[in-house]
Amino acid sequence: MPKILYIEDELLMQNIVNKILLREGYTVDVANNGKEAMEKLITNNYDYNLVITDIMMPYSNGFEILSKIRNHITANKIPIIVISSVGNEDAILEAFKLGADDFLKKPIMAGELLIRVKRLLAR
Amino acid sequence: MDFSSLFNSSTSQLLQEFYYAPLIIKIAIFFICFSILAILITYTSILVKRYQGYHLEKKLERINPLIDELILKHIIFNDALNKELEDGEQPQLIPLTDFQKSPFKSDFGKQALIDRIINFRKSFKGIMAFYLRQLYIDLELDKKSFNKMKSVKWDKKVVALVELTAMDMSIADVNILPLTNSKNSELRSEARHAYIKLSKNEPFKFFDVVTEPLLMWDQIQLFKIITTTEEISIPNFARWVTYSPNKSIISFCLKLIVHYNQVEGIPAVIKLLDTKDHELRANAINCLGKLKYDEVEPKLLEIYANQPLNCQIEILKAIGRIRSGKSIDFLKYEFLHSSDFDLRKNAARSIIKGGAHAQETIKLLLETATKENLLILKHCMNPLIKF
Repeated sequence: MPKILYIEDELLMQNIVNKILLREGYTVDVANNGKEAMEKLITNNYDYNLVITDIMMPYSNGFEILSKIRNHITANKIPIIVISSVGNEDAILEAFKLGADDFLKKPIMAGELLIRVKRLLAR
Repeated sequence: MDFSSLFNSSTSQLLQEFYYAPLIIKIAIFFICFSILAILITYTSILVKRYQGYHLEKKLERINPLIDELILKHIIFNDALNKELEDGEQPQLIPLTDFQKSPFKSDFGKQALIDRIINFRKSFKGIMAFYLRQLYIDLELDKKSFNKMKSVKWDKKVVALVELTAMDMSIADVNILPLTNSKNSELRSEARHAYIKLSKNEPFKFFDVVTEPLLMWDQIQLFKIITTTEEISIPNFARWVTYSPNKSIISFCLKLIVHYNQVEGIPAVIKLLDTKDHELRANAINCLGKLKYDEVEPKLLEIYANQPLNCQIEILKAIGRIRSGKSIDFLKYEFLHSSDFDLRKNAARSIIKGGAHAQETIKLLLETATKENLLILKHCMNPLIKF
């Protein structure tokens, strides 16, 4: 089953998206912030099929995670979806500039998220 | 001698000593006793409040997972609700029984449900957000929110406004409009926020009734609400520029005219150039400059000499923004001969902004400028310096 790393500091959102993904049969690793996400990435040797990340988080934000993954020698191809309540043009452009594959603005639609996840995993 | 008689005799001895003590000592004793009592009451109330907070947190820790589970089961993961509604299609009925059972019958349970539904709705849009709102209405939680609106306490009203706004519940103008003019700044701000979000047709109608000045902070907050609220109908703000008796509303509308580039509002803004209030005049000039309305340039030059300093500065800035290149000589004259430093600096900045039209003038000024003028020019030519 595809393995997804989901990085989100807001507990309710984390819980909901986690359950949505688990229900679809994905294996989900949840990180509460950028620092924890980096630890999980390193511990698991970047062995994820997809990363879903928020932007505004404590310690290191979603943009930093994005650029760290994209600058990694072997893991730079992992598809990344950014989900954020910061939906202004600058944030969206910055995310794509740093290598995001998709951008979803909060509030999200569960169905839409799943379609985007499936599409990126099928690539 | 038993304990009670001993206590009585020592109490009466103390009272007797207090009675015969000098006045200053009596006052001191009174204040000491009063302070001890006040400290005891304060500490007790802090402890009680903390205990209540702790107790509430514990209760929420127990009830929130229950609510989450029910919402996930009956709404988010309910396949029957999980498809978009076609035109004219009736929404599915949400199974309510579980939400009406024991922990949710109490006021506390209902409030926890409201808070959790609002939180869920912040995370979802589309059909899920629709059914979460439906759940709020079906459980008659909206009545609870509307009841809070009737409270005399301002903080309860604020909570009600937040809840009703989050759930997109329309509130009658007669209830909300007076609150947009409230003396309490928190309530006023939340009511305006709610009015803009909830009133689909005329979200700015409260501009008509605002009598209190819009403070700068109010303006910043309103600007953020207006520019970030989706699906809001934007009116022609020139309406308030023409008719509003409230100076701060006019100023704010001028900023909104610029933000939404409402060129149709220009005639109303030009009329403001004849107002007696120099601050409004300066704001109007600023607005015209930002709209880059070049036809007003001759009028600005015509009135320049009779204006106070703030309006003159705005005229110089406006000419720089318009960049027609027609007033380079005027700017040059002001830069070389004005006695005020700010005027010279703004004239120089507008010359620099003139771009191709001003190349010759800039070159000439750089060659012939005095030491101070050269410094001003170099300061204005530095793209890293904004002010």
